[in-house]
Formats: sequence, C-alpha cells, structure tokens
Amino acid sequence: MAGRSPAVIAAEDLARRGQVGAAVRACHDALALGDRGAHVHALLASLMLDGDFYDEAIAEATAAIESDPDCSPAYLALGLAYDRRGGMSDQSVLVWHELAEVVPDLVTAHVQLGEAFSAAAFDEEAVGSWKRALELDPRESRATYNLAIASLKREGMALALPLFRQAGELDPSQDELFFALLGLADAPVIAVDPARVKPTREARLGAAGLALKADDIFTAAELVRSALDTQPDDAEALALAAYAYLKQEAANEAMACALRAVSLQPDLATALYCLGVVYARRTGLNRHAARVFIALAKKAPAHALVHVLLAESLLALQRYEQAGRAYRTAVRLDPACVRARFGLAATYLTEGRHAEASWEIRRAAYYDTKRQGLFWKLYEEYVAAGEEA
Amino acid sequence: MAGSTEAHKPAGPVRNALFPVGVDLYPLDDERASFGDWYVRDLEADFAAMAAANLSLVRVFVSWKLFEPQVGQYDDEAEDRLGELLAAARAHDLKAIVTFFADDRLAEMNDVTWAKKRDPRTDDYLIQREVSLVQRIVNRYRTDPAIWAWELGNEAFFTGFASEDALQKWTTALREAIREVDTARAIMLGVDAETLVRETGVDATAAIAQFEYAVSHVTAPYLSYIAEGPLTYGPATYLDSFLLRCNLRSVPVLSDGVGVHSLDGSVAEEAAYVRTALYSALMNRGSGVMLRRWRDMDAEKREPYYRDPFEVLVGLVDGSGDAKPALDEVKRFTRVVARLDLRHYTPAPERAAVLIPAERHEPLPSLAGLYDPRSCLQAYIAAKEAHLPVTLTPEGAGLEGLMTVFVPSAGKLSPAMWVELASFVQSGGSVVLSYGGGDADPAVREIFGVDFLGDHGVRSIVSCRVAQPGLLGDLSAFDARLDLPHYALVGGGSATVVATDATGSPFLTLNQYGQGRAVFIAAPLERAIAQSDPWAAPEPIRHLLRTVYRSVASAAGAGPVIDCDDPAVEIAHFQSEDSDVVLVLSHDVGSKTATLTAERMVASVSDVRGGKPAEVGAKSFGVPLGPNGAAALRVDYR
Repeated sequence: MAGRSPAVIAAEDLARRGQVGAAVRACHDALALGDRGAHVHALLASLMLDGDFYDEAIAEATAAIESDPDCSPAYLALGLAYDRRGGMSDQSVLVWHELAEVVPDLVTAHVQLGEAFSAAAFDEEAVGSWKRALELDPRESRATYNLAIASLKREGMALALPLFRQAGELDPSQDELFFALLGLADAPVIAVDPARVKPTREARLGAAGLALKADDIFTAAELVRSALDTQPDDAEALALAAYAYLKQEAANEAMACALRAVSLQPDLATALYCLGVVYARRTGLNRHAARVFIALAKKAPAHALVHVLLAESLLALQRYEQAGRAYRTAVRLDPACVRARFGLAATYLTEGRHAEASWEIRRAAYYDTKRQGLFWKLYEEYVAAGEEA
Repeated sequence: MAGSTEAHKPAGPVRNALFPVGVDLYPLDDERASFGDWYVRDLEADFAAMAAANLSLVRVFVSWKLFEPQVGQYDDEAEDRLGELLAAARAHDLKAIVTFFADDRLAEMNDVTWAKKRDPRTDDYLIQREVSLVQRIVNRYRTDPAIWAWELGNEAFFTGFASEDALQKWTTALREAIREVDTARAIMLGVDAETLVRETGVDATAAIAQFEYAVSHVTAPYLSYIAEGPLTYGPATYLDSFLLRCNLRSVPVLSDGVGVHSLDGSVAEEAAYVRTALYSALMNRGSGVMLRRWRDMDAEKREPYYRDPFEVLVGLVDGSGDAKPALDEVKRFTRVVARLDLRHYTPAPERAAVLIPAERHEPLPSLAGLYDPRSCLQAYIAAKEAHLPVTLTPEGAGLEGLMTVFVPSAGKLSPAMWVELASFVQSGGSVVLSYGGGDADPAVREIFGVDFLGDHGVRSIVSCRVAQPGLLGDLSAFDARLDLPHYALVGGGSATVVATDATGSPFLTLNQYGQGRAVFIAAPLERAIAQSDPWAAPEPIRHLLRTVYRSVASAAGAGPVIDCDDPAVEIAHFQSEDSDVVLVLSHDVGSKTATLTAERMVASVSDVRGGKPAEVGAKSFGVPLGPNGAAALRVDYR
C-alpha cells in the first residue's frame, strides 16, 4: 500500500471540514499529479456518497478496491452506494459479505448485509446477519428493528411488537426528548455539586435536571427530595422524580410520581412523558399510554419523538392507520428519525404497501449510516495500517 | 353557454393521431430463448390486445446479428419475418417504429460475430455495413403504410458513444442513408439528450435537432440519480414531465420508456405510476407516449432478476398474456385522449421557465453538473405546485416569450446570460434567483439591488422573519430544519428586504429594475431540498418557495389561468375560442377533492369523454380525485 500524497492529505482536511467542492477539486488535483492510489479514490467515493451521487461513488470505490483490495473504507462506500442507489442488492450482498470478513467486528456491515439479503428476498440469511450484528452489539437498534419487521412479515404484529418495543428502548434519543421537554436540550453534561446549589426551588430543580442529564441519579434525588420537602405538591419536582425512577427501572414508583404530577398539573410535558412511557412499558396499559401521549403531542407538537411514542402506543392497540399518521408527522418533523421510519414501514406492511415499507427501511438505513460516520473511522484505520506497513 | 360538447367529439376509432400511444414489443419474452428466436412466437394475440387497448404505435427492433449473419449476406427468412410482423401490425391498424440498432441485453441484436469486437459506432467499415443494412430494410418497406417512423437506436446503444463528434458523424451517416431511400417517413434518433449527457457526458442536443422527433426517456440510472424513491408521490411523479420539457426544443417529443423499472412495487403502484406518466406527457406538450414493454419478461428465478437491471422486464401484460392494471390505465387514457381534439384546443402558453445553467455540462471536479439538474427539478416542482404553466429553458437558448425566469441555486452564469437577464428584467420580465454559493457576479448588484458581502457558509436551520407582509404573497415566519450549504450575506442596495433570517440578515429581497422585478433568495433552497430529503422537505420551506414563485409570476403575467387549492394537484389548461379543457393530475397517494378556480364564471363542467355536463354557475368547482387520480374536464363558460 503506497502512502498518501500531500494533495490527498489536503483533500482529507477539506473533506473533514465539510468543504465538499474544494475537497473534490483537491482529489482531482491529486489524480492529475499521478496519485491514483486507493486513498484518493476512496475519498472521492465518500464525497460522492455524501452528495448522494451514487453512480460516481460506485465508480470511485471500485477504482479504490482495484488499487488495493484491502481498502475497507472503499468497501463501505461501495456497499452504501449500492444500497442507497437501489436495485443493486445482488452486488451489495457481495460487498457487505467481503467487508464483514475484512472487518469482522464491524456491526454495520452485518446489519447492511442483512438488509441487502432481505432486499434480494433471502429472508433466512437476512435474519442470520442481523442476529450476528446483535451478538456483536446487543444495543444495535437497527438490527432489532429489522428483526421486528421480519417477524411482522412472517408471524404478524402480535409477535413483532415486543421487538419493536425492545428496539425503541435502545433509542438514546428518548432521553434527549425528556431533557428537551425540560428545557435542557442544549445544556452541557456537567457534574453537579449539591453543596453549591442555592437553596431555592428553581435552583434545586434546575440542578436536579442537570444531574439527571449527567446520569447522577443520587445527586438528582437529593435535590428533588429537598424541593419536595419544602413543597410536596410540586409537579415539576415529582416529574423529575418519576424520570429518576424510570431510569432505575422502578416502574411503580415512577408511575406514582408521574400520576401525582399530572393530577397537579395536567399539561406538564415532563410528567406526561414519564407517565406515558411507564404505561407503555406495562402490558395492557397501551390505551392509557395512547391517551397520555395524545396529550403530550398537543403540548409539545414540534418534537418528532413525541409523535413516535404516540404512534408506538397506537401500533400496540392495532390502530395502524392512526399510528401511520403519527409516524408520518414524526418523519415530517425529523426525516432522520430512524425509529419513525421503521414504525412507518411496519404500518405500511400492515396495509400491504410493500414498496413504501421497503423505501422507509432504506431511508432509515440512509440516515443511520450517515449519522454513524463510519467512513472516517475505517479510513483512519486504513491509513494507520498503511503507515505501520 | 358557448360552444358545444358534441362538436368536439371525434367519430370513429378511439385513437388520436396527434397524440399516439404505443408500446415497445421486444423480440424475446423469455430469458431462455436465443437470438434466433427473434419474434418467432405468434404475435397475433398480442397485436389484437394492443388494438383493443386503442394503442396506435408499436416499436419493433431489428436484429443486425440475425439479418446479416455473414458480411454482405442477408437472411431472407429474417426479412420475411419482419414483413410478417409489419403485416400483422397493419392488420390491427397499428403503426410501427422500426428501431435498427438497439440493445436489450438479451437478444444480442448488435452482437455481429464477424465484426470482431470493432465498435459499430466509430468503425468506418461497420458504419458502412450499418448503412447497407438500413438502406436494404428501408428500401423494402418504404411504401409500407404500417411504418410510422424509422429509429436509429435506443438508449443502451447510444451510451456507447464517447464524444459528440462520433455521435454526430454516425447519426448523419445513418440519417442520410435513410433519406436517400425514403424521403417521407419520420426518422428518430431514439435517445434522450438529458439522460445521455448524465450517463456519458456526451451532449446529443445538436444531433437530435436533425430529426423529426425527439424522445424523453426516464432511465433507471437517471431515476436513481435525480429522484430515487417512491414512484407514486413526491419528486419521481414529476420526472417524466421534467425530462419531456428538458427535451422540448425545436422538434416534437415522444415521452418514451413509460413504465416502472423494477419489480419492487405492486401492480397497483405500477398502474398509478403509468397513469401519472401518461397524463404528464399529455399535460406537458408531449407528442405521444411509448410504453416501456408489452409483456413481462419470463426471467429465471435467480439473481439479479429480482429487479430490472436492464429496464426491459416489466410489461403491461404478464407472462401468460393476462392484462395487468397498468394496461387498464392505458385503455382509459387512450379513450380520454381520443376525445381531445388537439387541433381545436391549444395548451396555455408557458410564460414562466426554470433556467438550466450551462454549468450543468461541466465535468468533475465541478459539482455543478451533479447539483444543477436536481436543483432544476425542485424548482420545476415548486412552480408546478404553484400551478404555473412552466417550462425549462437552457442557458443561452434565449428568453423570448417568457415573462418570468427562475434561476435555482446556480453556482455561476455566463457573462452573456447576465446581460440577457438584465435586459429581460429591464424590459418588464421578472426573475427569481437563489444564491448558489461562491462569489456573486457584479450583475447581482445591478439587477437585484443588493451588495454581496460574502458567503456565511453552512447552516442547519432555515429561519424566515417577514419584514414586508404581502409583498411576495402570503409568507409567514418559520424556523425549519434543513441543511443549507451556503447563505449569502447581503446588504445595502436598492432592494426592499421582504424577509430576513433570525438575525436580521436579508433572506428574501425584491428589487424593481427597469420595468421588471428581481427577487433574490439568499440561500440555495432548491439545491438544499434536493440534497436533503425531497420526500420530507419541510413544508414551510416548500410553501415559501412556491409562494414566491407564484407571486412573482402572477405579477408578471405568467400566473395560472386556472388555479387550484392543492399544491399536489397539477393543472394543464387547453384553450379554444368556445370552451376549455382542463386536465387535473394528483401527485399524491391520498384521495382528495381539488377546488379549481377560473378567472371567468364557469357555466358547466363535463368529462371530455362525454356525459351530462354538471352545472356550476360560479368561478370555482370541486374535482374529486382518487389516489394518483386524474381527470379531463371540458369547461364551458357563461
């Protein structure tokens, strides 16, 4: 494997800074200077992929692999380009299979391989790939969603629902929703020293929220307790307590606090969130969950995940049309919401709209793989391996 | 009520000679068949079914390999088979487009073994052999009334050309060869200029201009490039008409290759897409339609045939010849077209156009060639959603006859184009230009009345605060999530700031320049929509774009004559002296009732196919539309 030319290093820098046009020009400068190594083609493939120019990405990734068959970032770009372009699942299977062998612990390769198998109607192989992904990372939500969809196709919604619920619980953005409802979406994650918190209600609750965001349940509990000692009917404090209990899997306590908070302040979004979530987790309480999430959707309609939570509760009630509407609202608010895309796919499947379901799953993969930014991880490993050699 | 419904009803067969609808009949329908099985099957039932569907045209493909098995030795049996094929078509009142050099990746039609791997597009000897073959066939059938047109090749063949010169030389040689023998029949090249330039970088515009017909053709690679996604809603439903209008230059355009590319969708989705494409062609000045394939390919059940890699697998009837829902759509459409007398009704003139920048032809590393078509498609969709009669015009083609021009997110225009734009606005035209990145041309200050202060770069939120309500339509404030690659910082100047971003920086400005108006949008909104998720673009941004387009065009006299309350419903207006025909097409999968509003009092509305007129007595009336529904209405005025 040859080293990188200065032009390629300049292109890398520009690409990392998101200057796509300049980076493409720098890559072409490198090509003009005779650098036809795998690095420059892999970079170009990634840049073309970022612009959704799939045929160009395929050509560049192929050139990179021809230059060096061990160029793992090129395999990644090639596989993603095949998948995003559509209609090339047969080629895609080969690429992901290859990448899964070159980088066996790359979870995404197994997830994508599963989706490529599924698109080519090899359902058993697809399920095997997703299970392999979950063996590598049990918190891989897209693999779980795909298994849920596969279960829905084969066995129906009743057996698929637990998997959808399981996948939803893996979603870290649900915690972000709580903090957004709390007004702490942009707050930094910092350690809170309870001794330095002013002895006022606002300061205690604010600090408790920050402590919860930092996963410091004990500090949060101490601050909430102080607030409740002063004012036992403080709905906001009770909602914080409910969230703290939720995080500790203490569902009964969470439900009690959230119910009390809602009875004190029926439109308090944080309390509605906690109550809805705890209802949704309890078998047989989905009707209650749906009512609570409807109230939450009215209170906080701009948050995509609120509509997803509502849709999931409706899905559990087999009200697929309403669930579909809620999922579509979520997708409109946040096209990158993978959870909404898979949920929407499920509702489409219940209506026999397979092509649209397949499209939503592809869009979920599109956004999930964009978010992961795996190319640079593999590229850096590839560069490091080259330097070691 | 002026005019009479009965007066425009054609008698006799339900076909419209001015808008023929046809289908490609491929030589093989079975993957296991060999090249020698070229049209060997009994086609009587197929032709009868085509006639029953009111189709007028059928495209048949010549197999060079079969016709000339040895150099200069022609196969009489193959020629006779072609004669029988044409006779059978004639018996069913079908006319044929005979395509000479097509590739379907199955029948090996151009795989002439004696050519020894020489390129039939550039090798002088092979071109001479091609000329001989073409002249032989044309000479034999030049008086045959079944022939509608001669076609030189298809998309797959033309993608093999590497330069404009080679293409021009080949097409000139073949065209002249036909003209020596047949001076009457139309000749077509058989390739879409826009998709070919995307695929190969070769611009076929000049070559196509020599022929009597052009074609627009949504190819699978082009679809995946510009509008990959569901076929029944969103950008893909506008693609057929977008390409058709891209190709509308000096010669009439057939909307070619209409049909789905893959087996992903259900038969109902195939039918909905076909309906959309058929009506799109009629509503956007198409001169006819050719459907992609008559019969499904009987493919082996193995990879890669879970999909349609060569665009030729999905037909209007299944492998056993049973009609699919798409064929019912074709039948319904041909009945509608037959009742539309295109000599009597003329399409409303398009006074608004989306400008296709010349930079679109720049190769990599310029990204303009990749971004611009997508931006133009989004601008075209926005104009359609605003119900404007809109077309596309390439930079340098002149702005005569236009009142409004949209320049979507262009990186740069030529100096001559800036001069033309300045003159256009000064003399009363309107222009809407969205900033496309880089340094602004000095003409921006002159025409748009703003000082360019620099590119603020990437933003992830589009904010709009309305400073001058009502000046450019019903705009409202919003913050929406959309990745913007650029944002122009502008200030000073003579322009009125209509809206700003959240920090007060001008977002939308309006400048009176001479007799016309120039609107500047500080961000490449069309490109941003195209590059994010066109199926889930934030509604406030789409609303802003279509509101601005509509407001500017309406003020310039390029607005809709028939208006509609639903942006997802496309309207086409055909005018005559006594009554109008309005075609309505839903680009949405949901059922709806669109409210149409005319400028004059409408007396009655009736289906163009006949039936009792519905009394209206108002300017507005409702049109119920099913999922991806279409309607063709005759409107009589008081």
